[in-house]
Amino acid sequence: MSASLLLQGVILGILLGGLYALLAAGLTLYFGVMRVVMIAHSAFLILAAYIAWWMNTSLGLDPLLSLVVTVPSFFVVGYVMQRGLLSRLRPATLTMMSVLLTFAIALTIEGALGYFFTGTQRRIQLSYASASFEVLGAQVAVVKLVAFGLAVVALVALWAVLKLTSFGQALRATIQHPEAARLLGIDTDRIAGFGFGLGLATAAIGGTALSLDSTIYPSLHWHWIGPLMAIIVIGGLGSIPGAAIAAMLLGVSQALLQIPLGTTWAQTVFYVALFATLMVRPQGFFGGRLAQRF
Amino acid sequence: MPSVSDTRPDRAALAARQTRFDRVVRVVKVAALLVVAVLVLSFPATAANPFILSVGVIIASYAAFAVGWNFVGGFTGYISLGHAAYSGMGGYATALLITRLEWNPWVSLVLGAVLVAVVAVPIGIASLRVRGASFVIVSIAVVLILLLVSQSWAGLTNGSNGLRVPRPFGPEVLRPEQHQRFFYLFVALIAVALLVWWLIDRSRFGMGLKAIREDEDKAQSLGVPTFAYKLVVFVVSAFFTAMAGGLYALWFGNLDPVFQFSILVGSYMVLMSLLGGIRSLFGPVLGAVIVGYALEFFKVNFGDTQFHLVALGLMLALVVLFMPDGIIPAVAAGVKRLGPQAGSIREMSAADLLEDNRRRDREAQERASRTEPATSQAEDDDTTTEREHVGGSAR
Repeated sequence: MSASLLLQGVILGILLGGLYALLAAGLTLYFGVMRVVMIAHSAFLILAAYIAWWMNTSLGLDPLLSLVVTVPSFFVVGYVMQRGLLSRLRPATLTMMSVLLTFAIALTIEGALGYFFTGTQRRIQLSYASASFEVLGAQVAVVKLVAFGLAVVALVALWAVLKLTSFGQALRATIQHPEAARLLGIDTDRIAGFGFGLGLATAAIGGTALSLDSTIYPSLHWHWIGPLMAIIVIGGLGSIPGAAIAAMLLGVSQALLQIPLGTTWAQTVFYVALFATLMVRPQGFFGGRLAQRF
Repeated sequence: MPSVSDTRPDRAALAARQTRFDRVVRVVKVAALLVVAVLVLSFPATAANPFILSVGVIIASYAAFAVGWNFVGGFTGYISLGHAAYSGMGGYATALLITRLEWNPWVSLVLGAVLVAVVAVPIGIASLRVRGASFVIVSIAVVLILLLVSQSWAGLTNGSNGLRVPRPFGPEVLRPEQHQRFFYLFVALIAVALLVWWLIDRSRFGMGLKAIREDEDKAQSLGVPTFAYKLVVFVVSAFFTAMAGGLYALWFGNLDPVFQFSILVGSYMVLMSLLGGIRSLFGPVLGAVIVGYALEFFKVNFGDTQFHLVALGLMLALVVLFMPDGIIPAVAAGVKRLGPQAGSIREMSAADLLEDNRRRDREAQERASRTEPATSQAEDDDTTTEREHVGGSAR
């Protein structure tokens, strides 16, 4: 393995890891506000990618412009989903039933995409799709960099919202201790809905980033949900920094393992890491108290 | 306040009516079971054409999967979305033993399932360490891993091209005849699995498992060896699911990794069991008949489109939202409503309870007064304890 190939792998891994980190942050948010594992997250990711593709092919818009539509509408969908569906489940069986409910939503989205757009593989044709530049002998495609930039901007924005605004403070209070937050006068139900919307908005951004340089098809979301789930379990359910670190590490390892093993076997790194984590530290590496019982 | 004397005969009469009603319900249940058994066993003879017969075999295979799934889902409450891993492995194990080692198909079927059960031990040890959502994630991950492996390891599994499974019956047995035999084989498998489920349900082991389902921490603190129990029932579940998978492979004759290790198949098992009722013996079978029929209906009517996914998704969502306990518990509750009404008031009325507690307190006091003389202090305490006892009954 030559040095430039190695560097290429590391760069690709970091670019991929950025997207993983953004999506895993969304999953972590859902888990934080409701102890819900949202299987449909990656289905919404693919849905956003399809919207970007559709706007590009039928309206001729740049996929990045689709964000104007998808981000607010996904936020609303997330809010409605939390208030209208998930909060109706019985608290005693919430964890299990929410998994099944979001799984049902994922199936519905996949089926609807297949129904309207058929199972054909789609790809956005961009004028700058093949453009790339060289860093120390490694080729970096512009689209991948744009996707990474989008993910980083979204993550920073998410961080800023959580840390700097009063809404973020209320959301973090709701995650940490809902009863106490309610005592302080926070409308935790509404805040939880907004948290869900925020999580789904990350799927909208991730979907646009994904559509820039990948071929998409309705059942693609299964290839995303597995690695994303592995990332949040390894990072420790409920911990955004943990998820981001795990995403970066696993993204880089996947990209590096692709060189000797090929793409298919390299994907197993997520699952191998998942099982190793369960054996060594079932609560994940950063989650602590929250994750233990889930 | 009603006195004790006028409530007692009422309750006795109610209890008598209740036993009579229970006896009627039991007779009806046994009769229904017999009718269903006759209908099921005569189905191959009455099926209009081979296509209907093959649909019957598919539904029977779904029922076998769902019953296998329900060993884990029903007893422990751990919802596994990845049981396709065991049905798929069962199919591949059976097929590989037949094609590579040229073993007898039936020996391969059983030994394949045993092999899968052995493989399920480490998987169970890893995945049962976590609960709830994490367990579901891990169960999905197992299927995704097996999908990757079965697609990539072409030397063993023939990769995406699929694996042909030779038929266990000779060429002289025609297709409809095959369907018929496999239908009876599936029914036999379901019967054995249900028998084992029923035996576990009545055993101490089953009681421990159900305690885990209701509250794992409490079960553990009461001395139930939770991890060992979960692991054993997990392996049993993997065994029966693998048997069903192997039988399906023998019937279908062709294995494609995308369909063998599909999360969809795992979600079918969950949907069927939930719809029927995971706590009841026949719940998964009933669910399998309904969902299996619906799935075939959608496939016939919407054919190649992905619409059947939408239908499945909506069905699952509706069941989860409105009927999470399943049909059989809902019907059982309805039947109970037909019977003599005891109302929601507990068997012992507050007045009875008060009387009972007074008597018990008196006895305790008498016992105490035998060892030490009663004081006026104890008299005062008496009233407060009464109030507490009555309050406790309302909880």
